[in-house]
Amino acid sequence: MGATFVIVLREGFEAALLLGIVYAYLAQIGHADSRRYVTLGATLAVAASVLMGLAVSLLSGPLADVGPDVIALVVIFAAVALLTWHGWWMGRHARELHGDLQRRVDAAHASHQLWMVGLIAFTGVFREGAETVLFLWGLTTQLQDLTGWAALGGAAAGLVAAAILGWLVFQGGRRLSVQRFFGVTSVLIMFLAAGLFSAGVGRLQGIGLLPGGDPLWDTSWLLDDHGGAGGFLAGLIGYRARPSALEVVAYLIYLAGASLVFFPRLFRRGSGNGRVETLILTK
Amino acid sequence: MKRLAMTSFLFGGCLALLLALVPTAAAQDKPVEVSVTLEKQKFTPEEVKVKAGQPFLLVVTNKDAKPAEVESKDLRFEKVVAPGKTISIRVRALKPGTYVFLDDYNKSTRGKIVAE
Repeated sequence: MGATFVIVLREGFEAALLLGIVYAYLAQIGHADSRRYVTLGATLAVAASVLMGLAVSLLSGPLADVGPDVIALVVIFAAVALLTWHGWWMGRHARELHGDLQRRVDAAHASHQLWMVGLIAFTGVFREGAETVLFLWGLTTQLQDLTGWAALGGAAAGLVAAAILGWLVFQGGRRLSVQRFFGVTSVLIMFLAAGLFSAGVGRLQGIGLLPGGDPLWDTSWLLDDHGGAGGFLAGLIGYRARPSALEVVAYLIYLAGASLVFFPRLFRRGSGNGRVETLILTK
Repeated sequence: MKRLAMTSFLFGGCLALLLALVPTAAAQDKPVEVSVTLEKQKFTPEEVKVKAGQPFLLVVTNKDAKPAEVESKDLRFEKVVAPGKTISIRVRALKPGTYVFLDDYNKSTRGKIVAE
């Protein structure tokens, strides 16, 4: 029971965290009415996950072999692009969003395609969605005895726990001041996207499309990335115990590029006012 | 609409790159296949030998009644195999050594790839 709880909680947490952030974000910019984009994105992602699960179960042949790899890669890199765009938008507009709620609503309205936020929700849920659907389906085939029911119960509890965590992120996020919220989520999203980008590069190496792949170092003695805290950090910021050289480079390049894009005022010469550290630390 | 143009550019770029890369991979010489069967929550054989320095296909057949997710953190793959199905996983050329893969849905089910 404990094992299935942890598996579903971990798969569900990343999606729930992202959903909590985007819902809180919409509340922060005064566009709670645009929640429907997020809800629609998440719902479509669940439907797509079920379809994908069915396809994997029913189809075979070359399409079924290559298809999941292509879809996984497209989703990973699309998520990186969307999160980067989102961070870029927050970096550019953080200052306009000082004022009262009406000013925020207007500023966001003038320059933001809110349906893109729905796409973020879609990629966040769909990324691990099909795997979770198949895992749950596998559990339902073992309901002959008490152990089977306990396993399914554990999985259901994991799903509920993930949802509660997402809800807490939402409640906490919308209560922060808008600057602090933008500061904290920008940092979080930057590391999340760096981890995704490096994971995408790693998968390309894994199938031999990019060269290399042997580990540059091994910190599994210190923190294993399979389970527990290491597994959690793997999902959140892309921690790897045995990263390849290219993955490390990809991670660092993304962080360097993204910090320019996410925190433009940190790097502007003579930036006396409105620096991001102040955004995060004061307030 | 500069923003929309930039976004489309980013997306288009990623897609084009992937679409260009995938057929390239498919067109490579057909790699050697190494087969394992998953039955009663066990991989048979539990240890497969491959030649170091050569990419290969790990072909996994699931004879159990529930799905499994064949995963290796070191080899960077994770792929679901439904009951009664066979999947093939593309693996890069390996240095000599032992590499572990497991069923992520049931982590005690493990197999080994020995490259030599």
